Amino acid sequence: MNRDRYLRQQAIEGLGVERLARMRVVVAGAGAVGNEVVKNLALTGVGRLDVHDFDRVELHNLTRSVFLRESDVGRPKAAAVAARAAEVDPNVRIRAIEGDAWRTLTLAGLYGCDALVAAVDSLEARMKLSQLAQIARVDFVTAGIDSRYATVEAFPYARGEAPACYECHLPESAYRKVAERYSCGWLRRALHAEATVPTTAITASVAGALAVQAVLRPDEAAGASRVLVDTRGGTASRVALARNAECPGCGLLVPRPRRVAARGDWRSALSTHAPGAAFVTLSDALIFGYACTACGATDVSRTYVGHAAAEFDDRITRCASCGELAVRIDVRAEARVDELAALCGRTPPPAKFLLANAGSGDAVCLDLEE
Amino acid sequence: MLPQTRKLQVRTADQTRRAELDLSPDETGAAIIQSAVEHWALPADADYALVNVTQGRALKPGETLEEAGVAAGDVLEVQPVLVAGG
Repeated sequence: MNRDRYLRQQAIEGLGVERLARMRVVVAGAGAVGNEVVKNLALTGVGRLDVHDFDRVELHNLTRSVFLRESDVGRPKAAAVAARAAEVDPNVRIRAIEGDAWRTLTLAGLYGCDALVAAVDSLEARMKLSQLAQIARVDFVTAGIDSRYATVEAFPYARGEAPACYECHLPESAYRKVAERYSCGWLRRALHAEATVPTTAITASVAGALAVQAVLRPDEAAGASRVLVDTRGGTASRVALARNAECPGCGLLVPRPRRVAARGDWRSALSTHAPGAAFVTLSDALIFGYACTACGATDVSRTYVGHAAAEFDDRITRCASCGELAVRIDVRAEARVDELAALCGRTPPPAKFLLANAGSGDAVCLDLEE
Repeated sequence: MLPQTRKLQVRTADQTRRAELDLSPDETGAAIIQSAVEHWALPADADYALVNVTQGRALKPGETLEEAGVAAGDVLEVQPVLVAGG
């Protein structure tokens, strides 16, 4: 490694070469903000970067995304961004992971990483990534933009027992919007159209700069915080975010659950680490029952029962046999241990993790992917 | 006895809309946001948070002014909740 590259920043407190080279940061989202975050992390010499994105480059991305070119149109965003970022500093090891971050990120993969940056495009994805970061005890930074404002929130999940989580300050209206995307509580609405938010290179660059500042210089003394910048007015505010005791997001995660690997047999792991647990909460809703009120359970029921609800949308509420909207679906994320065992046997359910109360103020997170 | 009101300033994040209001300590942040959205015709499809810029603290969604420790003279700002990554 030629240290001359870092000569001018080496003297800056907190930006020492060795420290930065040891860091590993996961960036979820390779859109405009993700581009800026990866650019700044690569420029400063952060040792390892993982970039997750499910999307492919479109022409309209080029007005906001510093690493993308016309020749990238049609390529996976994560790969395109990682390839260009690797040119910035060959000492930085960059991995591109194509896919929905909720699917491609694992708890085991998050362990030991210094921060997870959420630069994704949906509220729901941010909520889910926040859960993962809390369980993995990894600092979580979110960055969001529109055409005028840039906001960055920092949640020091790696430090302190219970800082505010991403959901502690979400308004009720945000949950209503998430609910509108679903039918029967958990099945995606096939005809739901997502609103598109106009964004600019200016707000993206401000958000990317603030997000990387939060990653590289976490305020050890402070708890969770939010910065909002009005890029047109030139004003900014920084506020503290206190924990909300009624928060639906971290309610299940305080006290922090112990992570335990299921190792292919979730029942053995659960009976070892939470022997008295009668109920579990799954990270992903599952389909427990599927029957047409006119035809009863049919052969098609097997296509759905035992699967994650996320695999389907609300079109499955129409019976394949009689064609009526008469299917009754039992879909949920909470279950008794015995009914989950009846559904899946010993095979890990199709979810990332399950949470169980182990008694005496102890909680267990069974990692179903490890 | 009626709770004593406190005089506050409520404004939008771009600071183009401001109001001096006498608000009851029982008033919740959610109700103040709702009023701001209606009176100032803010985009109804966006989500908003309320922050006390004087004290540097965000109000929790269901929290009252009393619970949040909002004092007379404080400035409350209605800020957009941003979830786009561009």
